Amino acid sequence: MKILVCIKQVPDMESKFKVDGAGTWYDTGDLAWRMNEYDEYGVEQAVRLKEQVGEGDITVLCIGSDKVKETMKKALAMGCDRGLHVSDDDVSAREPLQIASVIAGFAKDKGFDVIFTGMQSQDRGSGQVGVLTAEILAMPSITTIVDFAYDGGTVTAKRELEGGIKAIVKVAVPALFTCQLGLNKPRYPTLPNIMKAKKKELLSVPVADLLEADARQQTVKLYFPEKKGGGLVLEGDAPDLAAQLVQILKEKTTVLS
Amino acid sequence: MKFELSEEQSLIRETVRDFAETEIGPSAAERDEEERFDRELMFDSLAELGLTGIVFPEEYGGAGADYISYAIAVEELSRVCASTGVTLSAHLSLGANPIYLFGTEEQKQQFLTPLATGEKMGAFGLTEPAAGSDAGSTKTTAVRDGDDWILNGTKIFITNAGEAETYLVLARTDKEAQKHHGISAFIVSKETDGFSFGKKEKKLGIRSSPTMEIVFENCRIPGTNLLGAEGEGFRVAMKTLDGGRIGIASQALGIAQGALDQAVAYAKERKQFDRPITAFQGVSFQLADMATQIEASRLLVYSAAYKASAGLPYSQASAMAKLMASETAMKVTTQAVQILGGYGYTREFPVERMMRDAKITEIYEGTSEIQRLVIGNSLTR
Amino acid sequence: MKVLLVAEYRDGQFLASTQELVGFAQQMGAESAMFAVGGGSALPAYDGTLYLADAAQYGEYNPDAHKQLLLSVIDQEKPDMVVFSHSSYGWDLAPRIAFSLGAAQISEVVEASDGALVVPVCNAKLRRQVQPSTSMCVVTLQAGAFTAAGDGTPAVKEISGDAGGAITFEGYEEAEAGGVDLSKSEVIVSAGRGIGKPENVAIIEELAQALGGDYGASRPVVDSEWVEHNRQVGTTGQTVSPKLYVACGISGAIQHLAGMKKSEFIVAVNTDKDAPIGEVADVLVVADLKQFIPALTEKIKAG
Repeated sequence: MKILVCIKQVPDMESKFKVDGAGTWYDTGDLAWRMNEYDEYGVEQAVRLKEQVGEGDITVLCIGSDKVKETMKKALAMGCDRGLHVSDDDVSAREPLQIASVIAGFAKDKGFDVIFTGMQSQDRGSGQVGVLTAEILAMPSITTIVDFAYDGGTVTAKRELEGGIKAIVKVAVPALFTCQLGLNKPRYPTLPNIMKAKKKELLSVPVADLLEADARQQTVKLYFPEKKGGGLVLEGDAPDLAAQLVQILKEKTTVLS
Repeated sequence: MKFELSEEQSLIRETVRDFAETEIGPSAAERDEEERFDRELMFDSLAELGLTGIVFPEEYGGAGADYISYAIAVEELSRVCASTGVTLSAHLSLGANPIYLFGTEEQKQQFLTPLATGEKMGAFGLTEPAAGSDAGSTKTTAVRDGDDWILNGTKIFITNAGEAETYLVLARTDKEAQKHHGISAFIVSKETDGFSFGKKEKKLGIRSSPTMEIVFENCRIPGTNLLGAEGEGFRVAMKTLDGGRIGIASQALGIAQGALDQAVAYAKERKQFDRPITAFQGVSFQLADMATQIEASRLLVYSAAYKASAGLPYSQASAMAKLMASETAMKVTTQAVQILGGYGYTREFPVERMMRDAKITEIYEGTSEIQRLVIGNSLTR
Repeated sequence: MKVLLVAEYRDGQFLASTQELVGFAQQMGAESAMFAVGGGSALPAYDGTLYLADAAQYGEYNPDAHKQLLLSVIDQEKPDMVVFSHSSYGWDLAPRIAFSLGAAQISEVVEASDGALVVPVCNAKLRRQVQPSTSMCVVTLQAGAFTAAGDGTPAVKEISGDAGGAITFEGYEEAEAGGVDLSKSEVIVSAGRGIGKPENVAIIEELAQALGGDYGASRPVVDSEWVEHNRQVGTTGQTVSPKLYVACGISGAIQHLAGMKKSEFIVAVNTDKDAPIGEVADVLVVADLKQFIPALTEKIKAG
């Protein structure tokens, strides 16, 4: 069985972000980086699938500068067999279709039975790359999975819907799945496996070799939303205050429609 | 000279930190309050991660990593729970490492491998009621009887005692010899007749780590359990402590870092006189000093760890690391309590526990006074 | 500008998000038509054309069939923009449509003033304005970002197509009724000592329900055993970061603040204008919560 798992390196979401010089992305200097949380579930599921089937080969793919190799090592230490690093110092300028085109460009002749991606990235969060990749490869795709069961060529998955309801769906492989948080419990890479990951194959390929699509959208600007204008104090009669607050909640939050 | 962690070391830091924060941290305060050791959480889960034999070669069930990786692991564990940090450090550096350094191949197969895999836990019995810093005054005896040895005596303040299966015990084999000559090292297994446990200490800090008295009453052990040559015991102990000091220095470093992180987070939030207290140089200067001392301690720890893995002599380096890191931990945690003020004095915030935990690092595995002796001797010899 | 709104239907009903799609079209001043795979007698409040395929035939989740049906309508209507909700249905279907059309997709739009499409970035800490360079584009709208609108009954045009697909839908599984996990809640209403007595927890719970969220409490309330421990917010309880946090009768002790200050929008209700919670609150309502909270709950339920 051949498995591909696609991961992205993202900054720690607790970081203090700054807008970069061009004003179109966040400044990547001075940040702590880690594997996109959604992708951890994909890596874990790939490793569990291989363990279940008893044989197989898992390739972990990641696009970015040399810095992303550290995150790829974590995937290798969790149990992926080999890494494919697509070297792209400008990865944050690519739009989802271009990312999908790179992944599909790599995957197209490899005969992967199952492809896992995260449902979205924690930074850009467009949630498109997985499905776009599958569309380019003319492969079925199922998004937002919180359960995955493989049995003789068929996958039964559960999609998480709003309100905690799950939809049970079935598809024959080859297929692509985008992973939602809670799909499984990602393992901690053990120290012996971290040391062994050093010896696993990690090839680097320049992005120009795989990128075929032009961008269909541009970022005009990236900015901080205006501060909520802290500390509005309301006084008065309960019914009036209630009406005022409801109005404010409608304007300032998405909690009331 | 590279002042950067390797990719593996960075990944080890990230992994142990995530693990420590998620699995160990949440129960740390409760275990401290209850003086409760949780073997599954504080040892078995470390074994699953491959930490219990981190520096030993794969052929003995270890992970084959270096001492800097070990230092990182102990630091990250201690950052959330100093008791867990010392559980690992005492097990690995004091229990297992002497067998690695001085054991025969048979002894390594029999005793080191289960310790490295975490199947068994290790401990170290040197200290006695009348022999602390003056370890050469060991009174526990080991007398030859046929092929066996009979041990008699008491050891106190033994970390991991009661839980550990394998004990490295120092006993006097030659009554005529002076002081530190005539002491030998033995491996003693828990279920041996004549080996029992005395009282469990009630301590100021590291309350989740069991510290007990161990008692030998005509305890018979096989001759094959002698570690190293007869009379070589003191040397075994000293070499063992050199490595243990890297562990304790890392524990102290973790405690200090954890306290600094708490103090910084609090100071950014706490508003007095209409501004966060970080706006007052009285506070920010303190934080600056704390951070600088921690960083200096860290470099000493890594330097000692580097030498240990490179096979270079590292007694002086590990003594310096332990001395500095432990004194830093005590200072930093005390200042952290001060910065958190009244809140820092309550058990709702972890800094009081960190301060209580820090104190022991200045005492065990060689007091700060002993470290100064070691360093002084290395300069003046 | 012409938009095609892709509505969602589940379990015999059109989802409320449908009205937000209509609201978006209105805000854009755009001509609109709607598409849905739905059925029965349910219809959205909308006075335009609704292209409707029968869910009984095409399934509530069947990406291949839905894609073909939708593409055929797009082919007829030739909209400038195809609009989905950013939901488990929308983000699954939209990229398939965008790819087939060769169109840019912009996900989770939160603002669209003067045609500038804005999306959140990095856990909503930042905003990004995006410009598509294709003539047609696909957008998904964040839930609740656009005001619900629409009335009347649509003119229904039935559509049909190929019901086949690679993915088969086997059924739904209900949500588990488990213990509350406040760290996942989007709305939390918390009770502080100011509620006075345990009976008043009910007022807090009702408001939480009206807002579609969960209720929590500060430490003193939990210590008094008025509320169970897993609802405690603060350093020795849970750390939460909901979209809305309503602190009722909570003074704002630092241990509590530590557990909730990352909330996106904070409302504090307290009789004390100088309560420390005012420092982190976006809105401080100076009132007796025993009068105000029920009034607020009523107002919200009235819609």
